[in-house]
Amino acid sequence: MKDFLTLKILDRFQFIFKKFNVDYPTLRRILQIKFIMDTRRIPVSVGKARKQPDRDYFRVSLFIYAFMGFFTMVPIAIVINDPMVLMTYIFGILMFLLLMTVIADFSNVLLDVRDKGIILTKPVNPKVLSVAKFIHIFRYLFLITLSLVGPLTLALLVKYSFLEGFVYGLLFTMLFIFEVILLNLFIIVLTTLLYLFILKYFSGEKLKDIINYIQITMTIIIAISYQIIGRAFELTELLDFNITIRWYHYFLMPFWFGAPYKLLFEGNLEASIITLTILTIIIPIVAFIIYTKSIGTFENSLLKLNQTDKQKPYKKERWFIAKLITKTQDEFTFYRFSYQMLKSEREFKLRVYPSLGLSMIFPFIFMFQSGFDLAKISTSNAHLYLYFCAFMMPMVTYMLRFSRSYKATWVFYSTPTKNLSDFKKAALKAFLVRLLIPIYVLESIIFTILFGVRIIPDLVAIFLTIQIFTVICYRIFGNFVPFSQPFENATKGQPLVFFLISAILGIMAGIHYAVTLFPLFIYPYILLLIVVTFIAWKKGLDERNKLDENRRLN
Amino acid sequence: MNIIKITDLSMKYDNNPVLNNINLEVKAGEIIGYIGPNGAGKSTTVKIMLGLVTGYTGKVEIFGEDISLGNVDYKRRIGYVPEVADLYDSLTAREYLTFIGSLYGLSDNDVDAKAKELLKLFDIQDVYDQRINTFSKGMRQKVVIISSLLHNPDLLFLDEPLSGLDANTVMVVKELLSLFSEKGKTIFYSSHIMEVVEKISNRIILINKGQIVADGSFETLKDQVHGSTLEQIFNELTGFNQHEEIAKNILSVIEG
Repeated sequence: MKDFLTLKILDRFQFIFKKFNVDYPTLRRILQIKFIMDTRRIPVSVGKARKQPDRDYFRVSLFIYAFMGFFTMVPIAIVINDPMVLMTYIFGILMFLLLMTVIADFSNVLLDVRDKGIILTKPVNPKVLSVAKFIHIFRYLFLITLSLVGPLTLALLVKYSFLEGFVYGLLFTMLFIFEVILLNLFIIVLTTLLYLFILKYFSGEKLKDIINYIQITMTIIIAISYQIIGRAFELTELLDFNITIRWYHYFLMPFWFGAPYKLLFEGNLEASIITLTILTIIIPIVAFIIYTKSIGTFENSLLKLNQTDKQKPYKKERWFIAKLITKTQDEFTFYRFSYQMLKSEREFKLRVYPSLGLSMIFPFIFMFQSGFDLAKISTSNAHLYLYFCAFMMPMVTYMLRFSRSYKATWVFYSTPTKNLSDFKKAALKAFLVRLLIPIYVLESIIFTILFGVRIIPDLVAIFLTIQIFTVICYRIFGNFVPFSQPFENATKGQPLVFFLISAILGIMAGIHYAVTLFPLFIYPYILLLIVVTFIAWKKGLDERNKLDENRRLN
Repeated sequence: MNIIKITDLSMKYDNNPVLNNINLEVKAGEIIGYIGPNGAGKSTTVKIMLGLVTGYTGKVEIFGEDISLGNVDYKRRIGYVPEVADLYDSLTAREYLTFIGSLYGLSDNDVDAKAKELLKLFDIQDVYDQRINTFSKGMRQKVVIISSLLHNPDLLFLDEPLSGLDANTVMVVKELLSLFSEKGKTIFYSSHIMEVVEKISNRIILINKGQIVADGSFETLKDQVHGSTLEQIFNELTGFNQHEEIAKNILSVIEG
């Protein structure tokens, strides 16, 4: 069976485990199995990559982390000179990235309820399992941290050796590494205690939801960080100031980690700096002691994950909008079903929400990158960037066919469902009502506040154009039964196709722009769009159905 | 010597009593049919004996040893098939079974040879190196059963062990259980399928609302309670006799 370097290193230190009465061979075996399973898990940061059997996904994700670490932290290290300011920033970023990663990718490890049933029914001391879990996560976190800070460590060593001499540079780097290990320890403890807290006061379902949203945030942040890399230099220049310690700094961990640099490398003996330095050492250790005391409770709280929530009192929903926009009873049924699926399916949210989050931010990113000027806001046409809201439409219409419980589709074949094309339309409408339109309305409000009420006719035009664009996407990607395929089937080659189709949206936006060049042309344009939208929704969706039938016959 | 001895066992979850003063002695070679309605406390009893649930009052001794003392060695002689068995299913059958074997302290080579042989006898030898998440329900169940037997246990806790198995395999497992009993192994068998329990067990324990309401062979239970089948005895003792009425009501609801 596969062996791992970590295990070989641990072998050298087995005497430590023996000293604490931990059965080392069993510990080693549990870790080995866990490591093997890690290589078969697809981390969130790898994303939608096509699944290939026997590929070490963990290793792939390490490269992604190295890349992320290089671009987010090395520029800062080059720009900022003051050690404490620099390190405070670095640890701020590092803490954030690590916390997100642990929660996003390693929640399954911490929250694996299988461990108890499989391992503790065997002659294994529970202590061994707790130690195994800790080492398991620590190894993972350590490898990720290593990838993240690898380039940075080198940059720090080179920079400070060059500026202050090699001994200084070396000591500087060593302090950095020591603090990073402390941080790692602290992150694991913090996450566990966080989960313990949530499990104590909330239900297991709530915890799963919270994890889900953190995973989504994580994906959005990675995507955005790629976007703003180019601007990193200007930003950090603004931020290079001298820190005066205020009371709230004592609550901000990155400041603790920055303080030892001021203490040791500048010989600053102010009380505030010494306090912060002490906090750096004491708090992780205290947290670790609390952790060892409470880990037993943790395993027991985990049982809650499998418990069902207390039933909430049923609230009868009116489905007012649903009745308004669906034509047949079948379509209404499917609309309601799709709406509930979109609301509850975590994996769908994980795949689609990040893109939706991006499409919310896109209008702003492009607006600012194209040299947005507040002074010219009253005459600017920058609000047309709102078209980017619908940028993800092709992708979402494509994703609607996937579900975790794709096998449950059999109910549509075992029941006398006449027309599955009603289902396709209904799913599309449910998506528009639940996700796209709320996003668009929110953005419209923000833009109206920024640009003034003069843009409202344009907003109406954009809204109508998006409706037409939706029909186009549906005609290209819509030939499927919603929620009927496993997520693994989502292919990687699609983004290019999505991009090409979004070009259609670009053309429509161009036409709109041309219209704005002539005052008052916008009103007949809206009228035209209303007519087209009406026809598109009336004919565009139905025509497709006949094609479906033909395809099925072929 | 008693294999299992439970004295005054009680257990509460959030102040709801789950087990109420259970007393039980089990001898080597007994096949115990452990039955009761849903939520009666069956699986809680088994989980307590396996050390998965703590916080009970009373005394539980297995192989003559009080399990609350924290020594886990008694589990070396126990095999467990849970009703819903979690598996590390991204592993292959070989990886999983050798792992479980080594938790019992067996060497990889021994387990490997044994597992290979057992998979062959259960007729799934060609999936030995495939990941468990690709298995059908029956294949998974076979892996679960094999994993509970690798270390030649003296005491078996089986909870619906036949679910998902085809009729032929069911016959094999039933036969195996009586062979185990002849060898002096003790079997704790939980199931909702009364016909099977009636046939294979030589002692039946019925638990209802956290209490033992019947304990004895099928023959003695038949004499005590009116009923010729275990199903009837079960209904009688759990105070359930409305099945005809409920069925009629269901029908009328369906017909509207």
